Amino acid sequence: MTEMKKEEKVYRQLESNKLLQQIMFQNMLMGHQASEENRLAWVTSGFPVEIPVAMDVGVSYPEQYGAIVGSQKVGPEVCGYAEDIGYSQELCSYARASIGSVENPDNSPMEGLPKPQALLAGNNICGTVLRWYDAISEQTGAPVFLFDTPPIEDEQPDHHKEYVRRGIERLVAFLGTTFNKTLTDERMQEVADLSSKALGLWTKSLTACKTSPSPLNCADRFLAMGPVVSMRGTELIIDFYQSLLDEVEMRVKEGLGAIRDEKIRLLWDNIPPWHSIFKFFNGLAKRGVVFPADTYTHAWSGKIEGDDLFGSVVSIYSNVYLNKGLNAKIDKMCKMIKDYNLDGFVMFSVRSCKRYSLGQLVSKEIVAERTGVPGVVIEGDMVDSRVYNEAQIQTRVDALLEMFM
Amino acid sequence: MDKFGIGIDVGSTTAKGLLIDSEKNVRAKHIMLTGAAAAHAIDEILRELELQSGLQLDNIPIIGTGYGRARIEKSTKTVTEITCHSIGVHSLNPEIRMLIDVGGQDAKVIRIGKDGRPEDFELNDKCSAGTGRFLEVMARVLGVTLDELGPLALQSKTPSSISSTCTVFAESEVIGHIGAGEKPANIAAGIHVSMTTKIGSLAKRVKVVPPVCVTGGVALNPAFRHYLSKHLGLDLWIPEEPQLTGALGAAVLAIE
Repeated sequence: MTEMKKEEKVYRQLESNKLLQQIMFQNMLMGHQASEENRLAWVTSGFPVEIPVAMDVGVSYPEQYGAIVGSQKVGPEVCGYAEDIGYSQELCSYARASIGSVENPDNSPMEGLPKPQALLAGNNICGTVLRWYDAISEQTGAPVFLFDTPPIEDEQPDHHKEYVRRGIERLVAFLGTTFNKTLTDERMQEVADLSSKALGLWTKSLTACKTSPSPLNCADRFLAMGPVVSMRGTELIIDFYQSLLDEVEMRVKEGLGAIRDEKIRLLWDNIPPWHSIFKFFNGLAKRGVVFPADTYTHAWSGKIEGDDLFGSVVSIYSNVYLNKGLNAKIDKMCKMIKDYNLDGFVMFSVRSCKRYSLGQLVSKEIVAERTGVPGVVIEGDMVDSRVYNEAQIQTRVDALLEMFM
Repeated sequence: MDKFGIGIDVGSTTAKGLLIDSEKNVRAKHIMLTGAAAAHAIDEILRELELQSGLQLDNIPIIGTGYGRARIEKSTKTVTEITCHSIGVHSLNPEIRMLIDVGGQDAKVIRIGKDGRPEDFELNDKCSAGTGRFLEVMARVLGVTLDELGPLALQSKTPSSISSTCTVFAESEVIGHIGAGEKPANIAAGIHVSMTTKIGSLAKRVKVVPPVCVTGGVALNPAFRHYLSKHLGLDLWIPEEPQLTGALGAAVLAIE
């Protein structure tokens, strides 16, 4: 009976998900252990995590925690704990979820993240992180380190590279003082190699989605990206990305899609609505809609390599998707639509994430004009389901799909 | 044997039903308030269509549209109001390239392709600014009925300045103008200018391509038509029954 039910599903479960669950659980335990040993840092998603990892500093990700709060559908409650102590509902819901969980751990998923001894904020993903980590610092007493990467328009000038490089050197000094640890060339090389290896495997799985039917759908990638975001540079994740790639390549070889009857291929832009991720993407899968590409999971792709590893770190972490101008984002979306042979695009305007969502109305017009495919902007939030109106989103997406009929 | 099609558009404020034959002649129609229970409105519409047309409805295909489309149990299929309005307007006037539909609680702008299908669209459905609800609130503050608000506004030569498009803030501004002794006609005109500015920006987001048609209940308001036309610098085409184009599009799709 169970087998029959599985057969009826419109999407195919990934076998490698079992391994994913195991390593994510293990990662959580490692975070607790690091915290107990007074060597845990909380880091932002665009932070050069290879450096703390190479210095034996454990890392936990408040943004990933926000995604967990969203997935467990307790966003309004946990964000509410931050609102109760005066934070605005307009503040990023990842920030509210982590501030709220520190305020009220007993009523938050997993009792919040393990207590940090340092807070490492990179502003290449947004400016909110500065005040957010300051707030966490006030709550926990952990010191904040700011890795400042001024936004890039076109080429990064030399003085800019030099400035970011000094930031990395300051980071090494900060971690040295805070945790009494040192960074060796050998360990940095080892971690950089592991990070590059995982990213290489991950990128191959992503680009395999150029085939039709696409071997992965959006929800598959949003789950599978977890380790490459939070555990880059560790040995633990290599097996998972290898088994994911094996499974993806097997699907491509056998002509098996992530969904059973692929009819329409769309691009997804922005963070997903974690609270409704399966309902949204699987609901569309039932109607033959697959998302072979998105701008979010492709953001972790830069490999640290070459003779000058710090130079490589500067380049990769300055050039992240959200640290670049609107033109670069538009170019990337147009290229993805062409490379992945997509019929249209959905842009999720996330109320929390101004950095990602600002400019979407203009981008929509330009991308549609340049590529000749239609797109739609839907509004909501990644964690806070109070600002996610399902019926209104449904009408917009349905109207987009009706354009293909 | 003649083919028939039924379109039912369950909007946030009113529910509309239309029965047409294969020549697109309207054989029956009904408009009523949606009320708290959409299912009751749908039943009444079907009863009315049956009564007016004298036809047995059981074998006639029904397409449901509008926010309450999922509530139409007897519908053969549901289609969004965006596609239905587009098809409905196209069947009345195939020249139209842009449709501005302003209903009770939302406003939509649709660019219509040559085949009558939507090419691009924008919706304002998060707040009541730029919708019929905005006018309802303002009429109440001015102490006139909704039907009186438009003609009152047209008496003005110098509309009051109402800088906010937000219903709540604009209401405060209107109260301020009343307190300052401003003429009601000027305030009413200012209200329409504010609203059409909001709709104009929505239209510009999808690029204004003439000829432009205006539908929805708000299209019945002459001051809204006047100030929107002035704001866009274009003549507007208004169907005879602007509230029924969504249901008409649904009925056309039902026949197809």
